[in-house]
Formats: sequence, C-alpha cells, structure tokens
Amino acid sequence: MQFWRLFSRNRSAVMGMFILIAIFLMAISAPLFFPADPFSLAGQSMSPPGANGFLLGSDSLGRDVAAGIAHGAKTSLLIGLLATLVAVFVGVIMGALAGYYGGVIDNLLMRTTEMFQTIPSFLFAILLVAIMKPSIESIVIAIAVVSWPAVARLVRGEFLSLRNREFVQACHTLGMGDVRIMLGEILPNCLSPIIVIGSLMVATAILIESGLAFLGLGDPNIMSWGFQIGAGRTLLRSAWWVCTFPGIAILLTVLAINLVGEGLNDALNPRLRDRS
Amino acid sequence: MNFKTLLMGATCAVGLALSPLSALAQNAGGNLVYLVQPEPPSLASFLSTSGPIGLVAPKIYDGLFEYDNDLQIVPSLAESYEVSDDGKTITFTLREGVQWHDGAPFTSADVQFTVMEVLKQVHPRGPNSFREVTSIDTPDDYTAVFNLANPAPYMLRALSSYESPMVPKHLLEGTDLRASDLATNPVGTGPFTFVEWRKGQYVRLDRNENYWKPGEPLLERVVGRFIPDASTRTAALENGEVMYGAYGAIPNIDAVRLREQDGFSVTTDGYSMINPMALIEFNTTKPPFDNPAMRRAVSLVMDRQFLIDNIWFGYGKPATSALSSSFDKVGLYKAGLPNYPANGDLEAAIKQLDDAGILPDANGVRANVTLDLIPYGEDWRRAGEYMKQAMKPLGIEVELRYEDVPTWLNRIYAEYDFEMNVNFFYQLPDPVLGVHRHYGTDQIRQGTHFVNASRYSNPELDALLAAGAQEPDPIKRGEIYGEIQTILANDMPVANLFEMEFLTVYNDKLVNHATSALGAYGSFSEASITE
Repeated sequence: MQFWRLFSRNRSAVMGMFILIAIFLMAISAPLFFPADPFSLAGQSMSPPGANGFLLGSDSLGRDVAAGIAHGAKTSLLIGLLATLVAVFVGVIMGALAGYYGGVIDNLLMRTTEMFQTIPSFLFAILLVAIMKPSIESIVIAIAVVSWPAVARLVRGEFLSLRNREFVQACHTLGMGDVRIMLGEILPNCLSPIIVIGSLMVATAILIESGLAFLGLGDPNIMSWGFQIGAGRTLLRSAWWVCTFPGIAILLTVLAINLVGEGLNDALNPRLRDRS
Repeated sequence: MNFKTLLMGATCAVGLALSPLSALAQNAGGNLVYLVQPEPPSLASFLSTSGPIGLVAPKIYDGLFEYDNDLQIVPSLAESYEVSDDGKTITFTLREGVQWHDGAPFTSADVQFTVMEVLKQVHPRGPNSFREVTSIDTPDDYTAVFNLANPAPYMLRALSSYESPMVPKHLLEGTDLRASDLATNPVGTGPFTFVEWRKGQYVRLDRNENYWKPGEPLLERVVGRFIPDASTRTAALENGEVMYGAYGAIPNIDAVRLREQDGFSVTTDGYSMINPMALIEFNTTKPPFDNPAMRRAVSLVMDRQFLIDNIWFGYGKPATSALSSSFDKVGLYKAGLPNYPANGDLEAAIKQLDDAGILPDANGVRANVTLDLIPYGEDWRRAGEYMKQAMKPLGIEVELRYEDVPTWLNRIYAEYDFEMNVNFFYQLPDPVLGVHRHYGTDQIRQGTHFVNASRYSNPELDALLAAGAQEPDPIKRGEIYGEIQTILANDMPVANLFEMEFLTVYNDKLVNHATSALGAYGSFSEASITE
C-alpha cells in the first residue's frame, strides 16, 4: 500500500485517475446507453445540443454526437493500449538485447533505432497508413512502429547500467542463462520507468489516432473521436457542437493519462519519493 | 494539434487578404480577378481536358461554335453550317477577317489542321467526337467541308472553345504537339490575349483589341488567381479580392452562407455543357451484383433527396434515368422510368430481393459487400456513410473502402477488383460523348479510366447505341434513346444517384458572366463589372 500512499500524494494524479476510470466506464457501457450503431442516422440533422432528443446535438447526417463520443471512447482507448503494448513489447526486446550484449549487436540495433527516430513520427504514421489500407490493424501497427524507438533507448540505458551490478554478476557466477537473467533479474528492476513511459505513450497514441482520423486516414467503418472532428470541421461555423464535444473528450482523456503518468512517476521513482 | 491547424489557417487568410492584388478587383475600368482552382498543369486545351485548363484557355481560344444556356448553337468562328441530306457532309462557312493574336489570318487550313492533326490525334475526347470524320476539304479560305463515314449529329455539340479549340497551324505544324511552346504561351483568336503566367500566383490575360466581335470583350483584363486553401479562397471572395469562383472553388457550406449576404450571389447556371452525374457503378461480372435484382434493390433503397439535402446543401436533382434530365431540351430524356425513387423505397427494394430469391440468413443478412468511394473529398465519404446505413435494413452489410486516387483508379478501371463504386461522370452535351462510355461493350477498355468498368455487355443495347449515334432525325433519335433508357432502368449496371449542381459564387458587381452553356469554361467576353 506504500504505492498508493505515494501516488495519492499527487492530488492531480488522483483526479486524472478518476477521469480515466469514468472514460473507461463510458467505453464499456456505450452499448447499454447507445445500443444503436453510432453511424446510424438517428434523426434530424444538425440539431443543436438538447434539441430533438440529442444530448450533444447531431451532425450533418443526423448522427448522434453523444453516441459517437461514447463508442469512440472504446476505439481511442483500444488503439491507445494496443499500440502501446506492441511498441513496448518491441522496444523492450530491442533495448534489452542492445543493452545487455553491447558491442556489434548494440551498434546495429541502435543505428536502426536512430533511423526510425530521424523520421518525424506523425508524418511516418501517415505514410504507413496510406500505404496499408486504413484499418484498426494498420493504425495500431503504424503507431507502434513510430513509438517503439523511445522505449528501446530507455530500456537499453537501464540494461547498460544494470548489467555490471554485483547481483547480475552473482547470477552469472551461479550459471544462470542470459535469457533468465534479462527477464528474471534485470527487467523487473527497470519496470518502473517502462510503466511511466508506457502510460504517457498511450496518450500520444490516442493523439496520433485522432490526428490520422481527422485527416481521413481512420478506419472508415469504426467511430472515433478524430473522425467526428474531421467530419464536423467544415461545419464549424454553422454547427460548433459537432467537433467541440469530441475535442473535449480527447483533451480530457489525454490530460487524464498524462496526470496519471506523472503520478506513477512520483510513486515509482525512488529519487522522487521524498519530493513533497 | 487540430486547434493549431485552425489558427494557422486563419493567419494565412489574413496575410493573403492584405496582398497588393486586391486593388485590381476594385478598378472601374473592368479588371476581373477570378479563382482558378487548382493551378492548371498547362494551358494546352488541345492536349488535356483537365478542369482548370478549361477555366483559362477558352478565354484565349475560340471554337467553331458556342452554345447558349439551352444548348442551342451560336455561331462563333463558323458563321453558318449546312448538313447534307445523307448527313455525311457538313460544310462550315467561316468568319472572314479573324486574326490570330500574332496577326496572322485565321483560315480554313487552320480548321483542317486542328481537327485532323491535333484533336483527332492528341485530344482525350477528340478521337471519339471526330471519329466519323475521314477528311476535311478546303475549297477556299473560308469554307471547310467535313467528310464523314457515317452521320454524326453529336459532333455539332462538341465544337465549343472548351471542347475543340481552334489552334494556329502556322505555329504548330511540324512541331512536337506534346512539347509545344503553346502550352505555356498560348496564341488563339479569342477575346483575351495571353500576357503572363506567374507560377503559383496568377495567370494574366489582356483584352484582344482586334477581337472579331464588335464591342467585345468588355473587360480590360482578366486575372486567374491560384489559392490552394479553401477557406482562404472564401475569405478572398468575401473581402472583394477576387470576384468569381466556380467548380467548387468555394465549398458548398460557404456558398450557402455567402448566398445570404448582401453583394454576393450563387448560381448553378453555366454547367449545362458538363452535366455531371453522381452514380454507383456495379461490378456485373461477379456476385452479388451479377444479379440485376440486387442492382435494382440498391437503386430503389437510395434516398437521393437525403444525399442532396444533407451532404450537398440542397444543390442537385435526384436522378431519374440513365440520362440527365437536362437532355430533355434536346428530346432525348425519358421520364417516368421505374427503379428511380427520389426518396428511396425500402419496401419495393425488399420485395425486389425476395422475389429474386435472395433471402436473409439467420442474422438478417442477404449479402456482404464492399463499397469503394471516389477519393475526391469529404462529401463522398459522407455519402458512403449514408449508403452503408441505407442498405442495412435491406440486409446488405457494407464495408467502406477509401483509398488514394491512383490505387482507386487502378482497382476500378484496371484490376476490376470491386463490387460497387461511388463515382461521378460528366455526361457532356450529347450522350455519345459522355454516356455511351458507361454501357457499350466496346467501352470495356481495361486500363482506361472512366469507361465501362461494370463490364456490362448487352448486344441489344449495343445495337441501339450505334443506331442512336448515327440517327440524324431528332424524333427518331429520341425514340432510340427512350428504348436505351428503359433497358438500363431495368438492368441497372450503373445506378445514377443525382444530377450534380456545381456552384458559381460571385460578387454582384460582376454581370453577364454566365451567358453561355459553358459558364466558367466560356470566354467572359460579355462579362463586365458595374460600380
């Protein structure tokens, strides 16, 4: 419970967590409150919020903005988490190998990482999605491809500093295999920074997904916040609500994730433990 | 990030509004600044039919004819014409005393050269428009006799300055047409002479003092501005920097807003030569759309008026046939055909499928299909999203596919790897020019864009199309096209959705700019600016 004590010392992190839980609940309960397809033409088009039974108004085809936000939450969180998991998985393997073995392997892997890092990540993501057909899978892959190098560099650094510690050398003396040392001994010791960077990456992934959907590179069959904003952009001067509410949803989610990430950093980073 | 984009857009708009060209539009002497969107690749209208070329080149070149808003022939470089009784000889009497912008006289040799050596050879639609022309005789400088293999009444509708510009023989003969200097430095007989093309900014044309039409052109100067960003274009029009924008240069959403403001007007005149039609192409060679009942059901379920009202802001007319209703003026359109309900008819569509034995499975699904969307912007995506919802109650589950332009063109017109495709076609002033390419067996041309990708092939229809192309008598021709439309309403290889209406948004100070069927693709020779 020491973790919770440290985490809860950061008030804004707790607030972020509650917002995040609320968004999770919204994503899970979306089919209950809005059983219809969020793309369905629910009624009068361009209804302002509150009119014609639309809590947050309707767009140019009469689709319910509130239903879109609820169903879009699932898309955003799903893509954010999946892309982060893939990126962390790839990044940890690359970073661990490079940091643990050093030498030629390190050189090879880090030059590869740098190659990816020199390309502006959002443009690279656009390129990847445009080459593959826009779909959930291609978007997850694109976000993961542009996100893993940061994890790889972080993990490499941690492995570099940990691999010569006494406890690792003790493992060597005991005759443990490399894989077991990497996974069982070193990795647990560098988990906290990975968790922190991972949580922040979820926020970035959500932003990239929204940006892609805004540019029309989202999966056309799946509702998402970025899609709603992109579709409502031309209506901004006549129907402000179509892109305002999804915009607020993105803002709150990304803010909440960042606050939680900050809180995790406070709780997990031993050097910050006594910060008040 | 999104908010930042908006801010940047606003900053650009303010910056451009302050540029020095704004002064041009204010001049009482009559300088017109108008929008050309996008910047044309060249000004060689004899080589390419690309839209923005049409916005500039017809001010510089003349055709043999012009056409008024009812598509009736108006003399231009040809003062009169005469068709022989068998329809196989057409004699044009040319206007005397017309000069090219470089001072050389315009003669029948130019007509012969233009049609035989240029349009029939390198123009995209020319080989079709002039396919029956075997030779052109020039008994004197002002007479051109077209000898045809078969009667070709449609050819008389393809002689405008936009479709078939007359080009100078003395500057082009013996040169490589595709690399001609005329592409960037055009010389014509039209009301305005080319002065300057500053890439990325504007193209400037000045009044042709020796123009053959007395008293015209009225404008002193015409400047076509290139402004890539849509909201900046709207801002430029609003603050008077430009006075005219056509062919979607001003988005519909802004057009309906400007319509309500004093000093601006919106018109759909000036597009009757183009006849754009939004439609769905079906792949008739593989399930499920190899079954005509499926194609009819999709046409029946579409609420065409909904598309027009909610996506195109009320501009458009529900389609009622394979031909646009604008062909009514020339007696070719047939009204009252089945399978074209303006507001959609779900019950009739369901009955259509039930009767054909296409029944829903346990989940209520009759077919799973992929709908390809023309990648020309947001409107088409919205249309696809609507169609997906509209077909759901029919038991047709739709997946949308939106790709980039080359991939999409390749998929539809080269690979034929599609089931249904949303698209739009120009029907042009005669069905032979714009409609036959959808349906004829000879128009199944793998790799050629915007032809018969449905691969619909019906010998009976082919015979009627051939007869319709050659029939000189308007009454008989109307009957043939009536039969064609009846067959197509039943077979439905292509489901027409609505007759699109492009919008021209203009400053009220500009008058007489839409006096011909060509509108923005016309000459502006009668246009003027009032204070």
